[in-house]
Amino acid sequence: MTRGIWTRETIALLLMAAYLPMAVLWVWSGGTVAFQRLGLAALVLAFWNLLFLLARAQPISLSVVITAFAIAMLAPEDLGVFRLALGISFGAVFGELVFGGWGRNVVNPATVALSFLGFGFPGFDWPDFQPPMVWAALAAALIGGVTGILPIGVLASAALVAAGAVVADLLPAAAVPAAAIVLVLLVADPVTSATTLLGRWLNGALFAGLVTLFAVGWQGAAPVQYAVAAALLTSLAAPLLDEAALAIWYDKRRRRHGRS
Amino acid sequence: MFDFSFHAGLTPRFSSPACGAQQTEMITAEAGLRMLRGDPPRVTMEVDEDKLVPQGAPIARLRTAPDVCFVAPMPARVARVTLSRGHRLSEIVLFHEVNGDVISHDICVAETEAGLRRLMQNSGLWMWLDRRPFGGMPAPDERPGAIFVMASDTAPLAPDPRLALAGLEESFSRGLHALSRLTDGPVFVCQQPGPALFDGASPNGRLRVVEHGPHHPQGAPGLRIHALFPATLETPVWSIHAEDVAHLGALVATGILPMTRLVSVGGAALREARLVRTQPGADLRGLTHRIVQPGPHVVLSGSPLDGHPAHWLAPRHRQVTALPRLPQARPPHWLVAALNRSATPKPMIPNAALDQSFASALPAAAFVRTLTSGNDETAMRMGILSLLEDDVALADYVLGGDLHLPDVLRAMLDRICVEFAA
Repeated sequence: MTRGIWTRETIALLLMAAYLPMAVLWVWSGGTVAFQRLGLAALVLAFWNLLFLLARAQPISLSVVITAFAIAMLAPEDLGVFRLALGISFGAVFGELVFGGWGRNVVNPATVALSFLGFGFPGFDWPDFQPPMVWAALAAALIGGVTGILPIGVLASAALVAAGAVVADLLPAAAVPAAAIVLVLLVADPVTSATTLLGRWLNGALFAGLVTLFAVGWQGAAPVQYAVAAALLTSLAAPLLDEAALAIWYDKRRRRHGRS
Repeated sequence: MFDFSFHAGLTPRFSSPACGAQQTEMITAEAGLRMLRGDPPRVTMEVDEDKLVPQGAPIARLRTAPDVCFVAPMPARVARVTLSRGHRLSEIVLFHEVNGDVISHDICVAETEAGLRRLMQNSGLWMWLDRRPFGGMPAPDERPGAIFVMASDTAPLAPDPRLALAGLEESFSRGLHALSRLTDGPVFVCQQPGPALFDGASPNGRLRVVEHGPHHPQGAPGLRIHALFPATLETPVWSIHAEDVAHLGALVATGILPMTRLVSVGGAALREARLVRTQPGADLRGLTHRIVQPGPHVVLSGSPLDGHPAHWLAPRHRQVTALPRLPQARPPHWLVAALNRSATPKPMIPNAALDQSFASALPAAAFVRTLTSGNDETAMRMGILSLLEDDVALADYVLGGDLHLPDVLRAMLDRICVEFAA
């Protein structure tokens, strides 16, 4: 019997393909240090995933590589091995593995890890991204959108609101690369973003709105820092947005058919 | 304006040899009757083994509703009757008798609604009705909220109902009039854009023609019902194939129920595909005889998405699919097997293909999560009562079949039936 291809691992592979341009550009510009961070993140994640595989029979997914890449790329610099490993462990275990592994989580483990590092060790510098990275993020969005693995509604509404904010002179242009990378890597994650049509548009708009709000009102914060904070709040709000979209849908159907 | 909902859905491609438009009449030498799913019904046998029966003669009756008959789809000799414990129908096998008789029913009773129901039940047409919620044929005195006549089929390799209806316009129109007497609600004729399928105006303004797009599952009855007239516990909805409605029209006009239906025989294991007019319960080996490729294969009753390996054509199916039987895969290395084995199936990741596999009629990812988490009440609000296994078969196929959505849906429907509909 034949089967369709859209299993969990296919989507993980396609996501890796979508993020490949970003990864290549980032490793190329970051050199050995970047590679070491990626290796460390992958190692810590592999350890926890293996532990949950042996203890709870949760099969390992290739999404580990994506999470490792997102953390290594966005985590504060010069944290040292111990702090970084602590943050990654917290994010992996409480963001994903206790819920049953990738696909059952409610927040992106990378978002949790990065927020933990940001709030736990506030003294460290956040990485800075150059405009070329935006093009790589755009390529990721394009590949993800065409193959249907990244929610187009989230990407489009975030881009629209952010463009409006830039035109209105609310969002500084320096924040755009960080916001674009966080959007593609963390916010548009297919598992933890909203899944209804309206919910997705609200989800992206909420992220761009929060980034703008933090850019205006959070004095002294780095772009990546407030983009990650916005991503955390957005992913916590995503189920609520879905519920709201579903409530509207139920209501519309009840009015049309006289019953649910 | 570009209508997105018209183009929603997918067109999964399954390889099959080209099929001409030519239809051949083919009554297989054997035919069988076996219940598709659920509890097999208790029956009273009307004839014994080795007796001759004319076409349309009752072979067995339901114990709970003696008017509802299982009838012979062709003049036949009863070859074998298998009943399981408690007179539950397991299987009836018939051998074709050439030049046998055909039963003619009394059509005078069809003037009243009760008479029409009895005629449909006695003639065996009642089995071709499908009810929602929960599926299966309706209770003999059930009054549906609406009836859906499916004059389109978007399943892969399915025969076009327009071909089946060619030349039967008058019967179809008469059948629709008869059907509309069984309900106070609307009768929907679901079709793809094209010329009108029947002539004459709607008898009482309740006949409504609705059009939909060409991609699967837009032509699946469950999604049409979900979009137009959701079934609930109090208001069941029936669906019936357009060709069966044309046969109903012939039945009320002549008293004889035509017993051939247009069936497409396709699939990758065939040398040539074909369209045949054959009887319900036809022998699938007979239908694929001489056109299968050499080598092991499996014959399904139904489409490649929702079909099941069978010996006989199921009562409501119009498709036979022959697929090559793949050689047994080598068992994976013990370590790989241990690493991949999990207590629960791997979860669904929302993606665009999944959204399309419900033709954008449902919030797909939310619905699949509700199904797999066993949340009955939310699923009922989302419209699970309008759906059956076949309607989620495409989503299950798209997701790789790990989740077994049709089985999960059936388990949930059974649970709802016990808890809410009792």
